Amino acid sequence: MLFWGILFPILCSASVFQQNDPVPELTSTRQEAIAYMDKIPALEPSPHWPNIKPHLFLQNIRSNIDQPISIYPGNGTNFCGYGALTYLYLKDDPLGYAKLLMQLYLDGKATTGNVILDPSPAVKNAAGMLKFKGILDIHPAEQMWFLTLAGHYKGYLNIFNRKYDPGDENRFWASCNYAKFNRMVRQLLHYKTKAKGADLMRPRMDDLYGYIEERIRTGTVVLFINNRIVHKKDHVKIKLQVPTHFIVAERISKTAEGITLVYWDYGGKTLMQLSPAFFKRIVFGITYCTKKEPDAN
Amino acid sequence: MPIKLIKFILSVAVAGSIFSCSPKNISTNYYYENEKVLDSIEESYKKLSSHHPFTVGFTARDFKTITLELITDTLTYMYEFAVNEPRLADTLTKFHLNAPNVIGLIRQMQSIRCTWIKNFYYYVDERKDSMIFMSIKPVALKRPFAYAKYYVLSYFPQPQYFDREGRLLDKRRLRTLRKINGEIFRRINSKVCYTISGNFR
Repeated sequence: MLFWGILFPILCSASVFQQNDPVPELTSTRQEAIAYMDKIPALEPSPHWPNIKPHLFLQNIRSNIDQPISIYPGNGTNFCGYGALTYLYLKDDPLGYAKLLMQLYLDGKATTGNVILDPSPAVKNAAGMLKFKGILDIHPAEQMWFLTLAGHYKGYLNIFNRKYDPGDENRFWASCNYAKFNRMVRQLLHYKTKAKGADLMRPRMDDLYGYIEERIRTGTVVLFINNRIVHKKDHVKIKLQVPTHFIVAERISKTAEGITLVYWDYGGKTLMQLSPAFFKRIVFGITYCTKKEPDAN
Repeated sequence: MPIKLIKFILSVAVAGSIFSCSPKNISTNYYYENEKVLDSIEESYKKLSSHHPFTVGFTARDFKTITLELITDTLTYMYEFAVNEPRLADTLTKFHLNAPNVIGLIRQMQSIRCTWIKNFYYYVDERKDSMIFMSIKPVALKRPFAYAKYYVLSYFPQPQYFDREGRLLDKRRLRTLRKINGEIFRRINSKVCYTISGNFR
């Protein structure tokens, strides 16, 4: 059995998770980001982003700062890697996120560190136009940001589809392999990363649970998992053993019944229980992120 | 056996396997043949999930094991249970769901090979709407190596717009086709549409 239910009191008991984990220092605070956004009461339509509605754009940035958990990469898209990255960004440096997205909106391009994000005209035209993706439909700031990242960062999965055409958000143009994800985290966020695993090979370690549990206590952990067998969409028995999805591991614990994992993905947190063998089967990559420098404040 | 007879039997078998199980055939008839039970599943799910949001489906081929997702404000709990397992009722009760009615719904789904049911949210003119998404794995769509294995129904709370070919539209004026999970849906009646898909959710 992949995961199984256990009694509710066990799930909710304080002993399952350690509550006194150290709180990592942040690059900027949510209050700073809110104060920055409060200085921008309204926006004019941007000539660079013809299909973005300014009021929705502002609303979207504000709601993301307020509720990073609500980041939603869209139904049926290949934006999950960019979604996980944005979730980390918002939790660590919401002010940096707000400034970068405002710069991108107003100037049509943006610079952060050594990275110059200069999206193509096709990407600029598509932002605000994505439809049938759930709440992403009315989140133009996320559309702009995900499309910009997918257009800028390229990995081997994007070799045959490098130029954006409508619908490419669901295709290999937007795909994110493991090395590309780690590169984005290193370049855009204030994190040092240590990656274990690969696109086609699981990490070799004796105690996978112990390794992840220890890293969650001391930093931020992103897992690259095979989601085809976690969220099954068909009854096909033989499935390709490849990772397809990025999740941010929030808490993990082990009992006699198995492993309980709480993770963030797609606009919310999920609790699932799985056997150690199944856990080993699904995890292909473990990215451990720790702060590069302490809080500027 | 004369060769002509063998040829005839083989031709009938091949033609039968191609046409009798074709998605086109099943799509036109399936809903009306099973209308009562399908509508009843939709109605009870709508009522039960309005008290406490959840999704449920059969992820194993034997239709004996369910995957249950219980959605709270802070967390989605994912469980897997055997249909007869006592822990299923315990868990439903803990989440303040009407356990006998949910189990009744699950059994009804099992009887018709309904693979998944959930509330699906979509946006029109910046306004959130919802509909009920239900997939079924009919025996007739069992061709090996075929992509389309699931008959998917969408139940909208209000009448929808369709083009001349009966395809679901996003809005009447724009004439844009509405895609749900990347699929184009076709009209059954003004509120119910179907598609044939390779995925059950």
